[in-house]
Order: sequence, then structure tokens, then C-alpha cells
Amino acid sequence: MTTMDPTVEDALPETAVEPKGNHAPGMARVCATTGLTVDLTAEKFIKLHAVFAVVFLLLGGIAALLIAMTRWSAVHLLPADWYYRLTTFHGLNMLILWILFMEVAILYFAATALLKTRLASAGLAWAGFVLMAVGAVTLDTMILMGTSDVMMTSYAPLRAHPLFYLSIIFVAVGTLIGVINFFATVYIAKRDKTYSGSVPLVVFGAITAAIIAVVTLGHGAGIMIPTFLWSIEVLPSPDPAVYRLVWWGLGHQSQQVNVAAMVSVWYLLGAITVGAKVLNQGVSRTAFLLYILFINLASAHHLLVDPGVSAGWKIWNTSYAMYLAVLASMIHGYTVPAAVEVALRKQGHDKGLFGWLGAAPWRNPGFSGFFLSLVVFGFLGGITGVTLGTEQINIIAHNTLRIPGHFHTTVVGGTTTAFMALAYYVVPLIFRREFPMRAICRAQPYVFTLGVVILAVGMSFAGSYGVARRHWDVEFTGATHAASFDPSVHIFLGMVGIGGIIAFVGLLMFVIPTVIAVFFGKKIEGKMPAW
Amino acid sequence: MAKQEKAADVIDNEGAHKGDQMHAAPGTFVLTLILLLSFAVYYFANWKALADVWQVR
Repeated sequence: MTTMDPTVEDALPETAVEPKGNHAPGMARVCATTGLTVDLTAEKFIKLHAVFAVVFLLLGGIAALLIAMTRWSAVHLLPADWYYRLTTFHGLNMLILWILFMEVAILYFAATALLKTRLASAGLAWAGFVLMAVGAVTLDTMILMGTSDVMMTSYAPLRAHPLFYLSIIFVAVGTLIGVINFFATVYIAKRDKTYSGSVPLVVFGAITAAIIAVVTLGHGAGIMIPTFLWSIEVLPSPDPAVYRLVWWGLGHQSQQVNVAAMVSVWYLLGAITVGAKVLNQGVSRTAFLLYILFINLASAHHLLVDPGVSAGWKIWNTSYAMYLAVLASMIHGYTVPAAVEVALRKQGHDKGLFGWLGAAPWRNPGFSGFFLSLVVFGFLGGITGVTLGTEQINIIAHNTLRIPGHFHTTVVGGTTTAFMALAYYVVPLIFRREFPMRAICRAQPYVFTLGVVILAVGMSFAGSYGVARRHWDVEFTGATHAASFDPSVHIFLGMVGIGGIIAFVGLLMFVIPTVIAVFFGKKIEGKMPAW
Repeated sequence: MAKQEKAADVIDNEGAHKGDQMHAAPGTFVLTLILLLSFAVYYFANWKALADVWQVR
């Protein structure tokens, strides 16, 4: 598959090409493999954020395995207190820390490498990173100390330790500083004319993610600051209904930042792995615009059984508004694989309907991870998401295990797999280190995706029989009214456990080679080795 | 067989790319139809499940 490989045969040594852009002398290099200009200051912060992201991914993954072993009713591993503690820990590490650290790395990469500009401010980048790191470490410490078993959502009037809320505020403010630095970098590139015409589509997608991030973090500040003040007994308890409304502006929208970033990564990896070109700039950019305008409103589907908001409000937000956001995902879901198909057909793989698909570089984890992410996100995440977000249908699924079954296909099967795929290029291109254990790396996206799909399908079917999400004991031992489920539920919960084990193995197959590559990997001089 | 371009060239020249009038992606079109069919089956199966547990008399 060498003809598909991005390691072009005529790659030049890095010193042979002058960096383009507005960099101070000696502060940039040109990547011999991709031809992208890499700002050395930004490179340092991309590395820092990426390393922290992988650490939190591993921590969240360990918690995931223990939770899956508890939901598997035949094993039922953890006691109740540790189950809720680790569910809190897992949610925050996976949905907030791993994702936000990785996204700031992506924003710095997109702005500097794709616009050929310097990073706006190293000082701001340090400030943002230190706030995020201190907040993240404090948050995990507070949860593991057992002071904050309030789940990720921390619904009032459940009350955690004040440092729990303060550390989330630190992470949010640190991320916001990173986003401001990103916007300043885009401004500098425009001012210094380091690119011509419109920004590239990948940067446009990153700007979309950053705009949604600002709205998201605004909601986070809007609810976490008063809740923190309540925890130190300065303010009265927040109204639970208002808390839920505003909190989901943080909790769900942070996942929309993921979606925009993930789609940007799809376009980037399409270009890097097979030379895919955007089919129609206007269509793809309009789809990103639909995300900005409508995807935030879709967070209303978390409140579909809440009595405090009207039926009209629910129907508008989860039908009309959400469908326009879904339309955006459907557009990307067509244009990304279509661009890959067109590129591969142009390279001569035009036999039949799917000859291009068979000839795609499936041994390249950068490609296989990106394409599996697209398929799992669209087929499993998209289909279940639209269905569960329908107001009437939601009533038979709300707060059941079907909901985690859905979002594990979007956030894990989609976003996490895409970000892992990106890492197979970030490490060689930014860290300039060679991946060891390449056969394991090649198999990793398949193993991880298989595990996630088994896990999510098990959750979805168990939830269809009424198994509650988040609950420690499916048998409701000792409850006044006994709960009974169809016996097949235990098979599906077994799938949750087995899928969790396979996914965790896939996670280790990513983390171990990545850590070895970053800290002990063979230094790459010139072009990166072919995948 | 056309040679693959560098990522930087693809991204730098994307404004000049007018491929929309000449692209043909029949395989992706079929995949899209499979997606829509899967969605229709899943969506209406859920409406059926809802109708089974929440009957209108």
C-alpha cells in the first residue's frame, strides 16, 4: 500500500526548506512528510496538552474497566461507594479532561500549522495550561478522596467539596484562555497575511469548535460559580431545575465542541492519509455554520422529562433545532467519505462501487481509526441519537442504559477513536518520534472499535429492557418493591463487561506505544516512516 | 495512477480546487442510502415499541 502512504517519496530534509509565515528566525520548521510549517513554540504546548490528555484518557479508561466489571451483574466487582466514585471520575476524565486537553492541542495545531503563523502568546498558553493542569489534578484528587461522589452532572442539591467545583472552574477558565489564544493566533495570521483567501476548512472547523467552546464555558461559569459559592455557604442552594437547564449548556455542549473538532480531524486525516480534497467548500462550511447556530439547542433533549420547561420549548429544541444540527452531521457524513472515494478513484482505484474502499490504506491506523470513527459515529451514534432525541420516543428510553449506549458510540467510538487516529500522526510529526510495536498500532483501531461497539450494543439492548443508567445494582437488592427484568438482560450486561475488557485492551494498545514513542521512541530525522 | 499530494499542498490549494462539478462518489452514495434505510428501520421500530407500551384507546 505504499502508493497510498503519506510518506511521499521525494520528501526533503527539514533543513532544506525555508518555513513560510511570520515566525522569528529559527522558531519554525517545515515537516518533511506533510510540508506543514510547525511553529516551535506552539509545538511545545501541543506536546504538553497531548501528554496530559493521554494520561487522563488512561485514568478514565481504568475507571471504565472497573465500572463495566460492576455493571456486568455476574461479576459486580465494586462496592456501591466506589462504583459511584469511579463513575464520577470516569465521566469527568473522559468527557472533560481527555477531550479538552486534546482539543486545545488541536486548536494550537490548526491555527499555527495550517495558517503558517506563530502562536499569539506563549504567556497565555502557559497560563491556560497551568490552570487546566492544576484544576484537573485537584479534581481527580478530590473525587478519589471520596469527598465528591456526585457523578459528573453533580446535580444540586447533591453537594460536593468546594474544591470539586473550584477545580472545574479552573479547567474551564484555563480552556477559555487557550481558546482566546487560538482566536488571537488566527487574528495574527490574518493581519500578517500568512495565508490567502479564506481560512482552510480544517481551521474553519476548529473556529466552529472554539466558538461553541466559548458558549459552553460561559454556561459552565454561569452554573459552577454560584454552585461553588453555595458549597462554601455564601449563596443558597441553586434551584435544581435551573441547575439542570444551565448545567446541560455545559455538559452537552462540551460534546458538541468534540463533534466540531472531530469532523475537522476527519477532514485533516482525509487530506493527510489519502490526499482527499474537500468536494465543496460552501456546503461543508455551511454545515459547520449549522453546528454553531443549532447544535447548542439540542442539549434540551436532556430535559425531555423535566416538568419545569414547556412542551413547546422541548419540541422546538429537540425537533426543529436538533434536526438542523443533524443535517450538518449528515452533510459531513457524506462529504468526508465522498472526498476519500474521489481521491482514491483518482489514484486508480476505481473498480466497481467499492473498489476504492478495498484499496484504502487500512493498515494505516491514522486512516482506519478515522474511517471507523466516521462509520461508528454515523451508523450507531447518529441513528440512535436522532431516535432517542425525539420527544415522544425519549419517554421509553430516558435514564435507561440506552442513553450511555448511544453516547459511547459518539464520544468514544467517534471522537476518541478520531483523536487516537490523529495521534498516529501527531507523535511522528510534532514529537518527531517513531512509533514502536507497529503491528499493535495497526490493529489498535479495530480492537478498540470492536470493544466499544460490543459495549454500546449491550448497553442499548439492556436499556431497552428498562435497565437504569448509572445504577450500581441492577437487581435493586433490598428495595421495598422488587425489580425484575427479562433474564436476557444479564446477557446484554455481560456484553457490557466483555466489550469493556476488549475496549480497555484497545486503549492500552494505544497508550503504551504512544507513551513509549513519546519518551523513548527513535528520533525521526527527515520524513516519517511509512505506516 | 495519480500520485498523492502532500497534505500542505492539499490544504494550501483547497481554495483553487473546483472539484465539485466533476466528483463522482457512487460508493459513498450507496453507503448513504444504507444509512438512511437503517435509520428508518430503527426509528419506526422505536415508534412501534412506544405504541406497544403506551396505547391510545
